[in-house]
Amino acid sequence: MTVMEKLSQAIPLANPWINNWRNEGKNVLGYFCTYIPEEIIYAADILPVRVRARTCSAGDTPMGDAYMTPTACSFTRCCLELANQNQYDFLDGIVSCNSCDQIRRLYDNIRFKAPFPYHYIIGVPGCVSDTTHEWFKHEISKFKESLEKNFKVSISDEKLKKAIRVYNKSRELLKEIYNLRKHDNPPITGTEMLNIISAGMSMPRDQFNYLLSQQLQELKEKEGISDYRARIMIVGSMLDDPEYLKVIEDLGGLVVVDSQCLGTRYFWDLIDENKNPMDAIGERYLSKIACPRMAGKYPERVDFMMKLIKEFNVDGVIFQRIKFCILWWAEIFMLRNKLKDEGIPFLELEREYVLSGAGAMKTRVEAFMEILEANK
Amino acid sequence: MDDETYRKYKKLGRGSWGKDLSLWKTMYLGFINLAKEEEFNPFVEMFANMFLRVVNARKEGKPIIMYPFNFEPALFIAMNLTPLMQETFSVGLAPLKLNEPYIDITNKMGYGDTPTLCNAQRPIVGAYKQGVAPIPDLMFFTPTPCNAITMSYQVFQQLTDVPYFTMDVPYWAYDQLNEFYDEKIIDYMVKQTKDLIFWLEKETNQKLDLEKFQQTMKLVNEARQNVLEFNELLKNVPCPMPSLAGFMNFTAMATHSGTIEAVKATKYIRDEAAENIKSGIAGVPDEKVRIAWPYTHIFFDVDLLPWIEETFQAVVILDILGYYPVLPHDVSTIEKCYESVAKGVLDFSMVGTCRGNAEFYIDFCLNYVKDYKIDAMIIPMQFACKHAYAITRIAAEAVREQLGIPTLIFGVDPYDSREVTSETIKAKISEFLTQVVL
Repeated sequence: MTVMEKLSQAIPLANPWINNWRNEGKNVLGYFCTYIPEEIIYAADILPVRVRARTCSAGDTPMGDAYMTPTACSFTRCCLELANQNQYDFLDGIVSCNSCDQIRRLYDNIRFKAPFPYHYIIGVPGCVSDTTHEWFKHEISKFKESLEKNFKVSISDEKLKKAIRVYNKSRELLKEIYNLRKHDNPPITGTEMLNIISAGMSMPRDQFNYLLSQQLQELKEKEGISDYRARIMIVGSMLDDPEYLKVIEDLGGLVVVDSQCLGTRYFWDLIDENKNPMDAIGERYLSKIACPRMAGKYPERVDFMMKLIKEFNVDGVIFQRIKFCILWWAEIFMLRNKLKDEGIPFLELEREYVLSGAGAMKTRVEAFMEILEANK
Repeated sequence: MDDETYRKYKKLGRGSWGKDLSLWKTMYLGFINLAKEEEFNPFVEMFANMFLRVVNARKEGKPIIMYPFNFEPALFIAMNLTPLMQETFSVGLAPLKLNEPYIDITNKMGYGDTPTLCNAQRPIVGAYKQGVAPIPDLMFFTPTPCNAITMSYQVFQQLTDVPYFTMDVPYWAYDQLNEFYDEKIIDYMVKQTKDLIFWLEKETNQKLDLEKFQQTMKLVNEARQNVLEFNELLKNVPCPMPSLAGFMNFTAMATHSGTIEAVKATKYIRDEAAENIKSGIAGVPDEKVRIAWPYTHIFFDVDLLPWIEETFQAVVILDILGYYPVLPHDVSTIEKCYESVAKGVLDFSMVGTCRGNAEFYIDFCLNYVKDYKIDAMIIPMQFACKHAYAITRIAAEAVREQLGIPTLIFGVDPYDSREVTSETIKAKISEFLTQVVL
């Protein structure tokens, strides 16, 4: 079995890695957003697993439609649906935050309609300042106390430091793989990369790091991909369905980098290992490359995106936005002007959480590829 | 309004106000013409002067600060800034159907669509594109209750290059009896209030006059007290005021909190309610049904509530904005004044009910229904209002299960008459009231 095949085993919601963890009598917590500090959960010897809902059938979300309403994004509707169907029964609880209006209300609807033994929501400030940094430290300290109380564990500084090291290691390894994608002939597709990141969010992190190191070594020795038509950057929110990237890559667009929740915005920034661990966690999570929900950080997000476009030699950008997403519609509206000014071609795709209508998407991506080829 | 007063205000609307104030002028003239048929009460005077104050600020080079509907502008007033509540446009233009051309322009610009982004903020994007809305000198917003505010102000900033300040609003309660109590929340909000003052001082190159600040907060308190007493009077059966009355108090607090005008206006309406109770006058004669309306009004249809009153002898007691829960506070020291600003932010209409866990909104609905002896709840939910729409069903279930009161929920765009028409809305309400309630 190749390393990639081993990692792929961790992609389904309930997977052998999680089962083994549970068989050891240990707890698993589902979480919803890149602002949730996984390190604190991991330091409690609890496995943090990013909640996804790819097994949900598009358009088949009666519970989600009724409670989240039909004008909520399909990711939240799918999650509520699966929660109601007990498809997250491998979770001992969920942790969410007020990352967006729909995610915070998903948390409420889960509590009321499909509850877990444990729920927690972290109030992440909507802007970044010295004052909000202090507050966020208070928020995550309360979360730590809640875990300690509910799961009867003690989260020492030593455990936190160890968790930070483990998660930083993942970040470093992922960054090394991303660096390989800067090459003219990158050794990995965007589809494969997304699968790796998804796997990392669904398995014990030290085991993920072990496999990731092996994967990195394999990729370093691998002959790169040269038969692509254009180098693509993907920008947007929650996308864990590799079928979307496969459509793009089957048409010759090689995804070389991203600014996504399951991508650079998740792992790019390290936690300072020389500081008090809770302070360092707070600083990293509030100051990391921000989601559009963070007011005042748009200039930083743009700079980050432009830096990646340059470093990864991107030919064109594909914006992907889940239908009814407030944050990303506004963000793309602003980014559009920037890319026009910079003369960078882009395509905007409105999508549902789970791929549907691949035909229409193929037509639009094919047309975009032709534009990119003509620009060369 | 007598002829002389009407002519005086009409005259002030003559001549060019400049292209960027052309929509503002349209609203002013529309307002004066509507008010001509009404008594010249403190509300009419307050709003007429509000329009003129912005015009004068432009002429005199006095800074205008734009902010959303969820903040009392007292601090701005204490710093001699001219407050401009952004939603004055979307709410003010809706009955004239004048939002709609600007919504269409915004659509063409690619800034969202109706079910995704709230039209309380979108029309002004189109108006900026056309150059017919005033660009402020400063902007302020809180990212609560909704993402639409956060994103729209970032977009405004990109379109106008105007600097802004954001104050975070936490998820928790400051009431010790609340299950979501956090002991540090007031300190946090006070610190942020001081950060805001520091920013305003820097941007306007002036210091906050602390004595004036305290005086302003005393006026805030007086108006809050009037609103509190008014809302208590509405518990009377029959309700002493017609359906829209509470919303007027909200507009006073959201645009003029901290002024003598807001004190006069809120006192005027409180006294009227008290007098009506004394005289046995009901807002809706022979009141049969008392309706809770825990969301905003449908702003494009000013005839809807009178139609409900006439057709069903039903009174809509308060909307979510008129249900103004900000209490008066001790403002005997400057530090207490900061606390009062902080609590005002946390408790403000819709912020207090929607900034935290669903229980905030559910408890609001339960208390509203109990306290005001409500017979039915109607929630005309803005399609794009993700934070509220997604908890209405669990709130309605709680109200039905705990109090036996039915709820009608339907999607609508309160700012655009084309999405769900008045006829459709009336049909839904009619069916609900006749088949379920009466």
